[in-house]
Amino acid sequence: MKKTRTRALPVLLLTLAFFAGIAYFIFNLTIHASEWVSTPTNGHLSDNEGIELAGSVLDRNGVVLAYTEDGERKYNEDYATRCACLPVVGDSSVNNSTAVQTVYRSELSGYNFIFGLGLPDEFKSGKNITLTIDSKIQKAAYEALGNNKGAAVLYNYKTGETLCLASTPVYDPMNVPEDIETNDAYDGAYINRALSASYPPGSTFKLVTAAAALEYKDDIDSFEYDCNGADEIGGKPVTCYEPNGHVDLKEAMKTSCNIYFANVAVDLGKKQMTEQAKKMGFNQNWKLDGIVTGTSTYDVSQATENELGWSGVGQYSVMETPVNMAMISAAIASGGTPVKPFFVKNISGEFGIPTPDRTSSKAKEMMSKDISDRLSDMMRYCVEANYGDWSFGGSLKVCAKTGTAEVSDTGEDAHAWVTGFSLDEDCPFAFSVIVEHGNSGYRAAVPVAAAILEAAANSVRS
Amino acid sequence: MENIGMLISFLLRVAEPVMAIIIIAVCFASLKGGRREEHALVVLDNDMDKVSYPVLFWENSIGRSRSSDIVINDPAVSRDHAVLLRRNDGWFITDTGSKSGVFVNGQQTTGRCAVAIGDIITLGDTRLVLRRSVTAANRQGYVKETKRVPGPVILGLITIYIMMMLLQSVINMDSTFALIPAMGFIASMFIFYAISYNVFKRRDFELESLALLLSGTGIMLAATHNTDSRQAYVQLAATILGMIIYSFMIWFIEVPDRVMKWHIIISVGAIILLASTLVLGTVQHGAKNWIIIGPLSVQPSEFAKIAYIFVGASTLDVLQTKKSLTEFIIVSAISVGLLVLMSDFGTAVIFFVTFLIIAFMRSGDIKTVILAITAAVLGVIIMLSVKPYIADRFAAWGHVWEPEFAIGTGYQQVNSLIYSASGGLFGVGLSRGYLQYVFASENDLVFCLMCEELGLIIALLTAVVIGGLMLYARGVTTRSRSTFYSIAACSAAGLLVFQSALNIFGVTDILPLTGVTLPFVSYGGSSMASCWGLLAFIKAADERTYLHRHKKVKKLKNNNIRTTVETESSPV
Repeated sequence: MKKTRTRALPVLLLTLAFFAGIAYFIFNLTIHASEWVSTPTNGHLSDNEGIELAGSVLDRNGVVLAYTEDGERKYNEDYATRCACLPVVGDSSVNNSTAVQTVYRSELSGYNFIFGLGLPDEFKSGKNITLTIDSKIQKAAYEALGNNKGAAVLYNYKTGETLCLASTPVYDPMNVPEDIETNDAYDGAYINRALSASYPPGSTFKLVTAAAALEYKDDIDSFEYDCNGADEIGGKPVTCYEPNGHVDLKEAMKTSCNIYFANVAVDLGKKQMTEQAKKMGFNQNWKLDGIVTGTSTYDVSQATENELGWSGVGQYSVMETPVNMAMISAAIASGGTPVKPFFVKNISGEFGIPTPDRTSSKAKEMMSKDISDRLSDMMRYCVEANYGDWSFGGSLKVCAKTGTAEVSDTGEDAHAWVTGFSLDEDCPFAFSVIVEHGNSGYRAAVPVAAAILEAAANSVRS
Repeated sequence: MENIGMLISFLLRVAEPVMAIIIIAVCFASLKGGRREEHALVVLDNDMDKVSYPVLFWENSIGRSRSSDIVINDPAVSRDHAVLLRRNDGWFITDTGSKSGVFVNGQQTTGRCAVAIGDIITLGDTRLVLRRSVTAANRQGYVKETKRVPGPVILGLITIYIMMMLLQSVINMDSTFALIPAMGFIASMFIFYAISYNVFKRRDFELESLALLLSGTGIMLAATHNTDSRQAYVQLAATILGMIIYSFMIWFIEVPDRVMKWHIIISVGAIILLASTLVLGTVQHGAKNWIIIGPLSVQPSEFAKIAYIFVGASTLDVLQTKKSLTEFIIVSAISVGLLVLMSDFGTAVIFFVTFLIIAFMRSGDIKTVILAITAAVLGVIIMLSVKPYIADRFAAWGHVWEPEFAIGTGYQQVNSLIYSASGGLFGVGLSRGYLQYVFASENDLVFCLMCEELGLIIALLTAVVIGGLMLYARGVTTRSRSTFYSIAACSAAGLLVFQSALNIFGVTDILPLTGVTLPFVSYGGSSMASCWGLLAFIKAADERTYLHRHKKVKKLKNNNIRTTVETESSPV
């Protein structure tokens, strides 16, 4: 019978494998429990359940954006402030999938690994969340965007702290409109466009094309072009807004000469354009405070020569998220490697015990320091020679690039873009603004950028 | 008032796992403590060489091979020469195909031959005398009663555990619905014990208690299930049916000779059972594994499991020798084939793994196992190339969180994980969970339902119990009354462990979801009854199971049995 015992060894190994599997499950659970609990479909947390005992959400200056009183979830008493902060804070439902009240619902509702969500209400202690967002800047963006749909991002490119993550349209979280699902005015109100939406970037993409040229095109400094407003690439037309005359790289950036950059893109070819775009955040997504952002895409694999040319000026099928664009400006401002933005500054510990503030880390290098310095000069030249510092409010020394992106051939108004950064030591801000169908980057997007830059400068300097 | 209720409910949730830990610890400690030490009752003396071989087991292989229980270094002895075995009526020796034969007192043996104390056994050039062991002089015998925790004490603890859940459910649901199933379960538990003790003369009750702990937990989960709490009655009835099958099985397999006589009928029966499902069965959730008769729906493949282990372990005619696996391989191939045709892939894999366990334990032949695995891999490849859509059923595996699966084929797993995590260590309370609203929560997803409502600790304890059964089954392999029991116990426990693995790792997305039940806990009458049947194999492997029955039998026999046999054989 010894033999039988020996032959039972594989069964013993099966049992050990079973226990190993159980251990693996426990390991997985330990790592992911909080994330799994926070899934928006969790019945314990949706339908206002769980949020009624939740802790508060505060902005960087301690302004209470959301709190619970007598078992009821309430929001900042100022109508404009609570509307402006909706995309970041969210309402009491879990419809705003990237808002902190959704993403951090398990923390807010007092989840912990030992008791799960099983503690009696009396013992539950929801954690407080402090954001890096400044509600005043948020409100300024909301008011500047007005009835337009769009988004505005502004973050400190030295620390990564995001001060503004505005998106419109919004609604009042204390009084959710009944027709929110059907009324076009609320189209996409559950989405934070700054993080999740992507748009054709238009001329702002010339920063990427220029970076690619400086990286890969050895003769770029001697590459010049006489622009008469229209030309043909690959047998089809490429046009400019107006004839720009004789331009080199710097002048082409200032006048935003499409034909110049289309030729550069074609010269560089699909491979090098795609490579540079990838380095600058395209065709990938990343996590920002546990939120997966939308994806910027640059795919010219099926493009004709003419389409490759158009892709170099941010048309064709190129798409970019506002937050990606702000990161490109941050990279240019800080020697080629941006700091990742974040917006959750602090989550209090169990039973309100304070915890250290979060910090950010650097993202991957987007370009070399030489290239970022060259681009920085060009963007500064755009402001000095073209837009003027006063267009951006006048308080800060700004480098910027606008864009006006054609949306379709049907004559819809183009999307208006601006991205850039401020050079001031005390106010190191990178920003990007999109105004859907704003028609002109300079006329529609720059005023919004001016509003948030002024608000940010006031907030820091006051 | 409501707050106090919630507080009590919470404290009960913390106390329940503690109670469960105590019950499980008591049961396993009692099982271990009650096990006898291995002492020789008789010895084989070689008077010429002055060597004494202790006879340790109920069945002892004798031969030159080093893996024999009694190794004899004599070139005239075959590698596997004979088996010395003990039955209720004495010692016997069986020639297992030796070259030189086995002689008892000079007479060559054929078949099984009784050996008495003082008899001379000749194997090759070696003469051995069967003698009573000196160490056994003061012993009662192989099997003796040892201190163990009395059954009623353990049942008392389980009663407290069930009452805690009952009280919790009353607070949480504001309804006394669970009262009848809980009380019914407690009553049936004690009646079961009383019958086992008085009618079947079984003194120890640890294995039954462990199974009752799991079954009771399953019944309480069913009774507090908001979508259909009447399932609790079905589950209670199935548990009682399980107890009956269990008792019958233990009686039926008591005599190894009876097992041998029946195994062909049972193997044909198992195949007919599966084949009839294929013909008469109803397709439910992709698998044609149900037979519906009026209000009853039965899953015959569950009962086929019992028959299968029975057949696999019992086709040993001459014990402990290499034997042809042909008959068993044919039965296995037909069974697995039928299950695949029913699209019941989970059960098919369970049968296959059980086949591997039995085939290896019987033959020790790794080649057979490798051949079988190769054949199975080829089979799967062929099946997938003929019917590629089958792979789609498992496409969500490892990707359940991806949007296309999270609301599709990965929906059950995703929700299982969300709600397992929500429960923490002590759960959110019976009937307060959300996983119960997801399809198949009471059977396929029950592990995670436990995690959510009763907490991670109780869920993990069920896994500990099932894994513990396996460790126990292996522990008694050399203490069982026959290799039949050892192999049956190990394969039954192996089956339960493997099935639990498929269930638990399926819902937690560690393995593909195959929709098999969690033994004893999952809702399902056939499954519950079958698990009790499998438990009988494990129980039968423990020599103590039949101890007191034999005492009684012995007393009756003592009057008219030859003195020699009586004194030598008295195992008790």
